[in-house]
Amino acid sequence: MIQSRSRLRMNGVHISHPHSFLSGKSLGAGENKVVIEAYPGPGALSRALLRLPKSKIRKLIILESWDRFYQYLKPLEAVDPRVTVLPIDGYTWDSYSVIEEKGLLDDVMKHDWNAGIHPELHFIAQLPHGVYGEQFFSQLFRCMPTKSWLFKYGRVPMSLVLSQPMWDRGTAPYATNARCKVSVIAEATSQLQNAVRPSELQPYDDHFHPSTSRVVSKKAESKRAGQPHVAVNVVPHQDQLIRSDQLDHWDYVLRRLFVLKSTPLKNAMNSLAPGAPTLLKVLTDPELPPEERVNINDKIKNLTIKDWALIVRAFYNWPFSPEDLTFSNAEDFGPGREG
Amino acid sequence: MIPLTKRSTRRLETTLVSYSRQSLPRPARLYSSPSKSAHAPAFATSVPQPEAPLPYLPPNLEREFSKTKEMATFLHERQSYTILPTPAPADSSDTNTMIFPDTALQNMVSIIEACVHNLYDVPRAKTVFEGLRRRHRCDPLLHGGLYNLLLDAYIEMASVKEVEKRSHWVEDACALFEVMENGKDKVTPTANTYAIMLRAWVLFNPSSHRLVASTVDMPTPIMLLRAMIDRQIPVALVVADRAIRTTKEASEAIKMLSKAAVDMNLGKVVNELGMAEALGSRAPDPLDNVPEATPVTRAKKQQQMQVTHAQDGSVTDFGVSETAVEVEHEVPFNLANLRKHLAQVILARRVLPEDVAARQKLLEESVYDVAVERLKHQAELFDEIGLTNKGLGNNDLRKWMWEWHQKLKVRLKAEIATLAVEESKLSDGRGIRLSPFLTLLKPEKLSLITILELMHLQGGAGASKVMKIARALLSVGRAVEIEYKAEMCKKNNITMPSNPARGGDHGYFSRLGYRDLHARRVAAAKYMEDAEEWTSDWSQIIRVKVGAFLVDLLMDVGTVVRTAVDRRTGETVSEEQPAFVHSYEYQRGHKLGVIKLNSIVAERIAKDTVRETLHPRHLPMLVKPKPWLGHDEGGYLYNKTSVMRYKESTEQQIYLRQASNLGNVELVYAALDVLSTTPWKINRDVFEVVLKVWNSGERFHKLPPAVYDQPEPQKPEDFDFDPKAKAIYITRQRAWYNDKANNHSDRCNVNYKVEIARTFLGDTFYLPHNVDFRGRAYPIPPHLNHIGDDLSRGLLKFGESKPLGERGLRWLKIHLSNLYGFDKASFNDRVAFVDQHLADIYDSAEKPLEGRRWWTTADDAWQCLAACIELRNALESGDPHAFESSLPVHQDGTCNGLQHYAALGGDDRGARQVNLDVTDKPSDVYTYVANMVEEQLVKDIEKGNPMAQLLSGKIARKIEKQLKDRLDIPVEECWLAANYLAKLVLHCIGDLFSAAKDIQNWLNTCARLIAKSIPPERLSDTLRPTPPSQKGRPAPEQTLYARMRKEQMTSVIWTTPLGLPIVQPYRQEKRKQIMTSLQSVFISDPNSPAMVNSQKQASAFPPNFVHSLDATHMMLTALECRTRNITFASVHDSYWTHAASVDDMSVIIRETFIGLHSSNVLQRLHEEFCERYKGYKVPLPSIRTMIPKLPRTANILQISDDKESRTLDEQAVEDLRLKAGGLPIEEEPEEVEEDQGEEEDEEEKPKKKKAKRGGKRVVSSELNLDDKFVNLTDLLPPVPKKGIFDVDRVKNSLYFFS
Repeated sequence: MIQSRSRLRMNGVHISHPHSFLSGKSLGAGENKVVIEAYPGPGALSRALLRLPKSKIRKLIILESWDRFYQYLKPLEAVDPRVTVLPIDGYTWDSYSVIEEKGLLDDVMKHDWNAGIHPELHFIAQLPHGVYGEQFFSQLFRCMPTKSWLFKYGRVPMSLVLSQPMWDRGTAPYATNARCKVSVIAEATSQLQNAVRPSELQPYDDHFHPSTSRVVSKKAESKRAGQPHVAVNVVPHQDQLIRSDQLDHWDYVLRRLFVLKSTPLKNAMNSLAPGAPTLLKVLTDPELPPEERVNINDKIKNLTIKDWALIVRAFYNWPFSPEDLTFSNAEDFGPGREG
Repeated sequence: MIPLTKRSTRRLETTLVSYSRQSLPRPARLYSSPSKSAHAPAFATSVPQPEAPLPYLPPNLEREFSKTKEMATFLHERQSYTILPTPAPADSSDTNTMIFPDTALQNMVSIIEACVHNLYDVPRAKTVFEGLRRRHRCDPLLHGGLYNLLLDAYIEMASVKEVEKRSHWVEDACALFEVMENGKDKVTPTANTYAIMLRAWVLFNPSSHRLVASTVDMPTPIMLLRAMIDRQIPVALVVADRAIRTTKEASEAIKMLSKAAVDMNLGKVVNELGMAEALGSRAPDPLDNVPEATPVTRAKKQQQMQVTHAQDGSVTDFGVSETAVEVEHEVPFNLANLRKHLAQVILARRVLPEDVAARQKLLEESVYDVAVERLKHQAELFDEIGLTNKGLGNNDLRKWMWEWHQKLKVRLKAEIATLAVEESKLSDGRGIRLSPFLTLLKPEKLSLITILELMHLQGGAGASKVMKIARALLSVGRAVEIEYKAEMCKKNNITMPSNPARGGDHGYFSRLGYRDLHARRVAAAKYMEDAEEWTSDWSQIIRVKVGAFLVDLLMDVGTVVRTAVDRRTGETVSEEQPAFVHSYEYQRGHKLGVIKLNSIVAERIAKDTVRETLHPRHLPMLVKPKPWLGHDEGGYLYNKTSVMRYKESTEQQIYLRQASNLGNVELVYAALDVLSTTPWKINRDVFEVVLKVWNSGERFHKLPPAVYDQPEPQKPEDFDFDPKAKAIYITRQRAWYNDKANNHSDRCNVNYKVEIARTFLGDTFYLPHNVDFRGRAYPIPPHLNHIGDDLSRGLLKFGESKPLGERGLRWLKIHLSNLYGFDKASFNDRVAFVDQHLADIYDSAEKPLEGRRWWTTADDAWQCLAACIELRNALESGDPHAFESSLPVHQDGTCNGLQHYAALGGDDRGARQVNLDVTDKPSDVYTYVANMVEEQLVKDIEKGNPMAQLLSGKIARKIEKQLKDRLDIPVEECWLAANYLAKLVLHCIGDLFSAAKDIQNWLNTCARLIAKSIPPERLSDTLRPTPPSQKGRPAPEQTLYARMRKEQMTSVIWTTPLGLPIVQPYRQEKRKQIMTSLQSVFISDPNSPAMVNSQKQASAFPPNFVHSLDATHMMLTALECRTRNITFASVHDSYWTHAASVDDMSVIIRETFIGLHSSNVLQRLHEEFCERYKGYKVPLPSIRTMIPKLPRTANILQISDDKESRTLDEQAVEDLRLKAGGLPIEEEPEEVEEDQGEEEDEEEKPKKKKAKRGGKRVVSSELNLDDKFVNLTDLLPPVPKKGIFDVDRVKNSLYFFS
């Protein structure tokens, strides 16, 4: 199977963080939590979590597939009965089936999507730096419209520690250069919040492992790959803008059009499919109320989430939209892994 | 006199261009895969009695072998190398433009030519030309042909277009002639030059009524005649030259020259002119055109005129025999007749008879006209049956193409006119103006070329449904260029030389024969060059720009109507959509422009007839291809084709041209001519079965179904909730879509084959061949050829038949058994296998589809079917031995690549594995390796490797070649499994063929060193002090090390035993951005070489070298077969002939292999390197990591210190460094050696020395290698030692090729 690829794993996360994930102003605040923690690294955060009272955390499920860390974490089970440490990879979807099969979530109820966030279940991860982390990050959002993965239990809040650049991409507002597919989908699916003031997590070397100081780097801290890190909370929207049967259409439309992100929509439509420029008429139909029209002179990166919804709707309704919405250059991804 | 042979192919460049999928050697491969596979296990059904030793060898064996002595001598002689300077880096001042053309200049030359064409804009051509002459005088790109072109244009301007400015134009012409005549520009006047000036005199002489100003000093006939005689240009050639346009002009010219000759008292010339007139007054002898049987008649004629050839084969003189010629007065003098006669004399070979060539000519000439007619016809037909209502399922490709054509040609006409106006307003900058190029062809033709080219590209595009834009534009641009050139070729109705039947009087390998071959080829080449109008090569930039202009407009006008059901309303809606769309995609992180086809159009390509999109340069030829006369002359009659498929490397082209000019590659041309003249036919029996299956649209054996028939993967129930299930589903679905797309492109491919087979059903045809850069031969027509898949091969058979005879019948059976897959047993067992299956074979032959379909279970089913039918027909014919068989029977090498390695290394164990040695039973490496792998797997399973678990027990010999076809491995695991397996297999092969490994390492090391070396002439520049930047430190790109890297421009070049120079093209990619009307595209400019990619140079060298050897073996075999009148075809390491000739061919295959490998190949390669790279220096910093592995390095450094003259050339280097302000070299070279000596324990010598000089030890890290150079030739490691295997034993190996 795929070997763990996180090169950067974290060491000491500030002690107040568990608080900022589970209490206070956190979107995911609650009591009596069942927490699943992926990529714990050597376990600093895990230990911090366990310092919280039982009323706060009732169960902590830790996923760590790298043997050295696993060996280091496993003893926690003996110390605290709330803990289960599993030698499996948080990146692999299989792992979550394993958790269920072991009955670890039997006491977690399914919570109605419209009845607020899930009161118990909470997902925490320290995302690895690199392509797998990025992929994992974007796929978390893509599970929300279809209510798959942990979201079948309801609107499960998530707390993530991840690199600033990754976070910037996920939260890039429209009309910025960083705007991309991930930011559109993130915006459409969830509410995002900084859990800790980013400055509190700097400098990097004081908080994270492995430390970089041994490697002499002349680059400014802000320029080093994967640095600095931020801690954030993510909660799915109650109203999902993306219909579950249209997720593929969103994917397709965003992916195709963001190839030309600085091109006005009206010129970029050709990229969508042969004949797609006829959709421009639909999008600017004077019969429609103004709020259902799209300014087709806007550049792709300047389109708002509402614009995107309209474009996808038009594309979905178009009788000539392509049958195959997947991407043919599958070999670019090596083993199939997109979910 | 028997004419010589040459011929070749055209470049597949339309499809190759820069993005070709051409067969790049895969560096990691140790062996070349046999063209066919077999998976029948090699069990012996019975212990065979050893077969009579070599049953196929004739008893007078010794004599047969002695015949090849000449060949052996030839192979032992020292080859003539083609050596040219290494290109200089682009940023150096002394660029060797004399060798590597400059793109800007090339563009200007093309512009001149385009402006001159049809007198489009001669004044502009003149301005540009004069400018170029001032700046680039004597550049080889300013070819004599260009001067003649302008000269002719000036005269035409004076006589036709600008009569009022006649004096000016004639004056310009005279001035230009003067320049050519006095040699200032190093351009030599040719017959064409004199003909133009003679014509000028005819038109404008003082007694004509078209006077020019008296100030113009026109050369008189006397002056011209004197010049011609000085330059030894026969007057007959001048008066028959293409510059002389009409018979009237010709007879005028003859008259005037005769008068001049009389005045000058030149009896011989008068005589010669009289002769010319006489020849022109005689209709060509019709008998002359009959292909074979009239040598006597012709010989007589030739006695009347004698041609003297210079050593290079050019014609220096005509002599007329003493007897006056009887003139047949009833035929009036006619220029065409004269030309025809002259052509025959000069070509010293029979010309292609008109009537035989007529169909081919028609085919090549009128392709676009015919296509238009067909499309039009089709469209009218649809109109008649009332199918034109928009959107009523009337999606016929031809109808669309017709509609687009109608719109596009009108649009083009208007747009080109507008463009011309706009461009004329531009200031006279050096930018490229497109309009001259777009007016070379009529808008109708441009329109059709664009449409057909795009459709054809798409048809062959394979699985991905998109075309890369750069490739598409280049293809269209090149198609325009090719068509224009073809028009120019056709313009003068040139007489084509034809192929000789056999290899000349003296054989191919004797000195005499070789020289003869050369002289004849040169004469013919010269004739063709003179007779065709000169055309320049377009640069990539021009091609792309022309292509972009055309494609842009097509995308604008090409539309289709689609209908679909609106899923909300349930209504059927229709929409007019573009047929082609330009968009961008990310591929491997690069943003790429692509052209997509509307899916509805893409679907049709797999269904409808695609004949229209096939250009004759994609089709077999109806006549024997034009022999190869030069590096770009041969193959198709009118379509310019290159003899080599270049990989975007001008260097390759230049080397080949040079080798061709030096006469080093005659035998390569000759061998290609042999391959090109093998006649083929369509196997009608097989074709009928194919057609039946094709039309049914069902999946059948390897024929793809019309509608993809595999079920789409089911969406799992938990799709929405379980991301894991979803991921698997998506992977499978993607694979399914991919397969579906592949099915589609397979369908397109088969469609082409069926279509071509149908077209050529009743004909004998020929496949012109050219070579790739390693010298491997390929047929040029891409779709249907014998190198193609099983289906293509099954559809083809030889155009001639031979009675089987007893041995032939036996070979036919063995062949059938091989095709079935039963090819690992002894010959006797294979024959027995066929005898046991006779019932199945009969059933297959008689009821291929209705019967038991035994043949479909064969490895190569279609070929097996063909063999079944042939065998049945033979057995049923009453007398099988007399049966006329035309089925090609194959002899395949067992892992041919490894065979060559084993022979090179004299590797006993390896030789046995690949059947070089005498054995009772063929050995099979694949099975052997498969077993080794399986053993390894068992070990890995014990270690708990899950992948080993998955694969265990599934290793058949075949799987080593292709894992993907294994259905029992889940798609999602394939990639990892393949990775794992590849490692294992390579490991096992390396173990088995250790000698091969040694040779590979040696080749690899040599290549690495060469790629790091710097030619001597660049050394001083490399070390020149770099101007300090403002900060006082050299900029990073100017440090010595960076400079050295930039100077590493040396590619690995070697010469095959047949004299072909092979240039590895691998260099750093350097692309230029070109703005076009569509988008900006990045294309590489082959004219400006960048530094070499040394890693690729090294890793690709071993396989390329072995391929160059197997290509040589094949060509030697082809030539020998021609000499002995054996029909021959080849697919790299699979040699084909008639069943009856297999025994003879087997002897030849072995002789040539032995001949090749007894010539000490590696030693000669080493010698060549030493000569070719003499004086080249390797900077030590570049090979730091290699030094410990080079056994001799230490010694070299040592020795160089002992002697006064240091090998390092240090004195020079030191001087330079001193000048540069650097420190003198202080460290002593042996310190390097000491350091290395420690790492290299087995090196004894250095250790001793170390002891002696121990006191001087310096710590290695302090050692400064930065500015040390070593002679490349001193670094080359010695050739690996040969083992004990004697290649002569191949003579008696039964299964060497079988």
